[in-house]
Amino acid sequence: MHAFEYRRAASLSEAASTLSQDSEARPLAGGMTLIPSLKHRLNQVSQLIDIGRLPDLQGIAVRADHLWIGAATRHQQVADSADVGRVVQGLAQLAGLIGDPQVRARGTIGGSVANNDPAADYPAAVLALDAVVVTDRRELAAADFFQGFFMTALEPGELITGIRFRLPRRSAYAKFKHPASGYAMAGVFAADLGAAGLRVTVTGAGGGVFRWTAAEQAWASGSTVPTLDHPDLLEDIHAPARYRAHLAKVMCEQALRELA
Amino acid sequence: MSAVPASETSLPGVHYARREDHRLITGTGAFTDDLRPDQMLHGHVIRSPHARARIVRVDLSAVRAATGVRWVMTAEEVIQQGGGSLPNSFTFPGRGGTTQQVATMPVLAHGQVLFVGQPVAMVVADTAAQAQDAAELADIEYEELEPVVTTDQALALGAPQLHPNVPGNLSLHFESGDEQAVAEAFARAPLKSRHRVHSQRLVGFPMEPRAVIASHDAATGITRLFTPSQGVTGMLKSVAVASGIPAEQIDVLTYDVGGSFGLRSNPYSEHVLVVLAARHLGRPVGWTGTRSEVFVSEYQGRALTLDGSVALDRDGRILALRFDDTIDLGAFSAGPSSLIGARNLSVTMGGSYRVPALYMNSKLVYTNAVPMAAYRGAGRPDIAFAIETLLDHAAHEHGFDPVALRRINFIPPEAFPYKTANGTLYDLCEFHRTLDRALELSDWAGFEARREAAARQGKLRGIGLACYLEASGAGAVPADTVQGDFDEQGQLTIYGVTGASGQGHETSFATIVEQELGLPASRVRYAAGHHGRALMGNGTGGSRTLYGAGSAIVELCARIREQAQTLWAESGGAAGSAPDLATWIPRLDAAQRARLSAEGKAQSGSTFPNGTHVAEIEIDPATGITDVVHYVAVDDLGRVISPQLVIGQLQGGVVQGWGQVFCEHAIYDERGQLSTGSLMDYALPKAGCIPTVEAEQIQARTELNRVGAKGVGEAGCTGSIPALTNAMMNALRRHGVVAMDTPFTAARVWEALNPAA
Amino acid sequence: MNISIEVNGKAQSLEVEGRTLLVEVLREQLGLTGTHVGCDTSQCGCCTVLVDGQGVKACTMLAGQADGCRITTIEGLGGQSLHPVQVAFTECHALQCGFCTPGMIMSVTSLLSRHPNPTDEQIIEGLAGNLCRCTGYANIIAAVRQAAGAMAGSAA
Repeated sequence: MHAFEYRRAASLSEAASTLSQDSEARPLAGGMTLIPSLKHRLNQVSQLIDIGRLPDLQGIAVRADHLWIGAATRHQQVADSADVGRVVQGLAQLAGLIGDPQVRARGTIGGSVANNDPAADYPAAVLALDAVVVTDRRELAAADFFQGFFMTALEPGELITGIRFRLPRRSAYAKFKHPASGYAMAGVFAADLGAAGLRVTVTGAGGGVFRWTAAEQAWASGSTVPTLDHPDLLEDIHAPARYRAHLAKVMCEQALRELA
Repeated sequence: MSAVPASETSLPGVHYARREDHRLITGTGAFTDDLRPDQMLHGHVIRSPHARARIVRVDLSAVRAATGVRWVMTAEEVIQQGGGSLPNSFTFPGRGGTTQQVATMPVLAHGQVLFVGQPVAMVVADTAAQAQDAAELADIEYEELEPVVTTDQALALGAPQLHPNVPGNLSLHFESGDEQAVAEAFARAPLKSRHRVHSQRLVGFPMEPRAVIASHDAATGITRLFTPSQGVTGMLKSVAVASGIPAEQIDVLTYDVGGSFGLRSNPYSEHVLVVLAARHLGRPVGWTGTRSEVFVSEYQGRALTLDGSVALDRDGRILALRFDDTIDLGAFSAGPSSLIGARNLSVTMGGSYRVPALYMNSKLVYTNAVPMAAYRGAGRPDIAFAIETLLDHAAHEHGFDPVALRRINFIPPEAFPYKTANGTLYDLCEFHRTLDRALELSDWAGFEARREAAARQGKLRGIGLACYLEASGAGAVPADTVQGDFDEQGQLTIYGVTGASGQGHETSFATIVEQELGLPASRVRYAAGHHGRALMGNGTGGSRTLYGAGSAIVELCARIREQAQTLWAESGGAAGSAPDLATWIPRLDAAQRARLSAEGKAQSGSTFPNGTHVAEIEIDPATGITDVVHYVAVDDLGRVISPQLVIGQLQGGVVQGWGQVFCEHAIYDERGQLSTGSLMDYALPKAGCIPTVEAEQIQARTELNRVGAKGVGEAGCTGSIPALTNAMMNALRRHGVVAMDTPFTAARVWEALNPAA
Repeated sequence: MNISIEVNGKAQSLEVEGRTLLVEVLREQLGLTGTHVGCDTSQCGCCTVLVDGQGVKACTMLAGQADGCRITTIEGLGGQSLHPVQVAFTECHALQCGFCTPGMIMSVTSLLSRHPNPTDEQIIEGLAGNLCRCTGYANIIAAVRQAAGAMAGSAA
């Protein structure tokens, strides 16, 4: 890696302040994406501000109408949480399917969501549950937050502090893992939001997470889930676009079977 | 730094499977990157980013001036120091008496680069980070040229010629057998079938990334090279040739090796570079590859296309067999790629079958890719793959039962020793025995019912077998020799050339001694990789070490027994009695002990491991994912010395074959870039990919060597690649899939079952 | 900068750079070369160590992040005797070349602390972050079962 300074932030405001003063500084939580990227010299930073232990970013809390997960919560904590399993089962399922055990010990929900890898898992849940991404500056609705391939609405230096998930009646996540990377070739999150309706979101198949309204309609009407029809489905050396389209259907069916 | 002895610790109450294990399970082994000597400098290699380009201009002035940099090497420095190219291991005569045209790999590129990853320069600095930082300052201008990525492109009329001495990029057009006799047989034959296999390019991926450390002693003039290898002697000779340094001034030491699979028997550029740098700078120099650069620089495996045709009579008897093969050498001949493409594809091309007329020809072709070299089986799994899938294809095409078709063609027991139509002499094999047992263990007869039950659940089951035969290594040197000495405690240390990379030789050899001499295995130590005794021997490879070096050890034991008998008699031992070595030797004085020292020497050629593997698979048509539900391996490995280790080799080999069949492929794009250049894209087998192999061995001892063993190291994948492929095709044929290349990834299987409109 | 970590029960105060990885600290500064580096995309698991009791890839953790943590490497697992997982590995012939073995053993130890009596599925998922090229995994899975049994027996 290129050389950089490492600092542990004493507080959220100190972290934010450092980031605003140094445009080459980056926040570090788990580092499961950032560290490999630095090792390959794909990017260069002046300093890494470790926010992973900030008290403001910890915690899983069930409230009357939402589930709060602090940005620095590790995937394993979400997967193991009895609270999460009880109120948003799909989210606990999803967290347990990320990467591998060692990655789950360190990777964080804030890091994953801020990175918005088109094959990451969390964005599917965040979008499906109409979650609110809370930062140190404002609150962003999920629909506004994800803006495509590795892009989000976050401004430079802005830090996610946590995510507020609405509580579905029921939810499930099904994922088809890439045989090499373990990322989603197609990951489908299905959530029944009660009065707010049914949600089906897809990750891994295209240029970023999206809502699959045709699947929602099929779910609502009890008819067969269609093959995914979406522009920009990923086509690469591993699979043609139509395979991912098909996988999305299969994963959707799997998720819906769990909710039946 | 001092020489590292292999730790012999063991704790009571633990039933160690192997002597090697204690140090490995406690993290006290000695892999090369663990050995960093004091004052070691670090090398970083600058590699070509292009598959084919002319080097226009090289300006490394900024690199030389960077912090911590001690030396920068280009082809110029290598040549000045007396170095040149990595030697080629084998050449063969071509069709019509032509001479093979060989292009060897320069240690560092000059004038042109011919594969992405080819070493162009090396920076030596105080720290690895400084070397890498400095390397980024290199100013190298390339003129990109059109690469030839496939063998078709390389052989096409008008294709760019990669090497001045290799017209048409054709290094060798080899042949073996009788083309005329085969043509006549085909002309007469009532039934014919043709099937092509593409044994795709693979990344071998031993877990330990390549690493080398060189340390020069100015007082003695000797440079010590620490490196994982498959045998120090061969490595030393090649490094001497490539570096221009006399062999007497080089010492190669190999301690623990994190897997090799064939890829560590030949030197790489880095071996030469660190040796030259250590001598030039007077300080140790080390280089450890990152996995990314190992992907694009470690020699790759397979990369063979085998186009087979079989002629049958009406009963299914084979009248003739013909193969037209194409071998993708990569950019240079840097290992035994010619051996693979010539000898290895021809020596057992008839497999387990009586084939009256045989003919093969193979074109060995240069392309703009990483050089190809030996990877677990080195052509023999590939030819078994080709024969066994061809037979299944022929069975299907002409309405034969695939088992019956094999039985009728097996070389019968009374025909042994059997000489194949192209000159290979097989010793006794019992094909019917392994087939019968494998059919029984796999419940072959009950498959149809299982297939139907699975179909009712919406799953597609298939069953396939492979009655493979392969030829283990013939040996590249006249004999294997070992030396043995006893110490004060009566422990026998055996010195040899061959070194393990997971095979457990330290354990197996001790077991052989226990069986031959009655000396407890715990009193026997095998010391590999310590050059300094003029020992001749083969490195580990070609599945011949257990019987090759093992036969030399049997001979050693015979010599020790004789010498002990003489000494015993002289010291008053009763006539007709023999000493208990374990208690007697520690009582001897040094002079007496020295009289027990001995050498063991044996010359062992190829053996013919063979067997029947049966795979039963189940495809989920919704996703294309395949489950292996049962895997049976009944093998003839000759005498089995260490059953647990043999089964371990089988399981490991079977899984490497699984990888080739289901997920591995080194894919080059049209620019010659490796698209699968990391584990993010190159899928390796993971835990749970296959159930435990149900393995049995028929102990048919071979008379071809003193140990009586046939080789096991490469048998697993030689059986599993065709068995799994045949099982897949058995399932897929019913759904209209006529032919399909490996790997049977979920995506490709699904596509085959759901062809685009 | 300075970090304070506990490694195999011993407090260490070390001078590191911002970019220094935990695996580099262990191998190069502390001479604990049992933890290996097998890849550079954080997938092979050869570098797995326990950080505050959890299996973590030491190649993907900065030394700075480890400040204040309790690290256990393969060298610290057994002590004077062997840990049941180490015993199971050799008795079941769950290693051949040994390069993946330390990381594999640490992952198995972590798995068994979470699931003392793991199902087949939990074993396979527990090994998802560790690659082996030699053994074909069957004996590793057997070793996990044997170790689980041994540890349950001694806990009883």
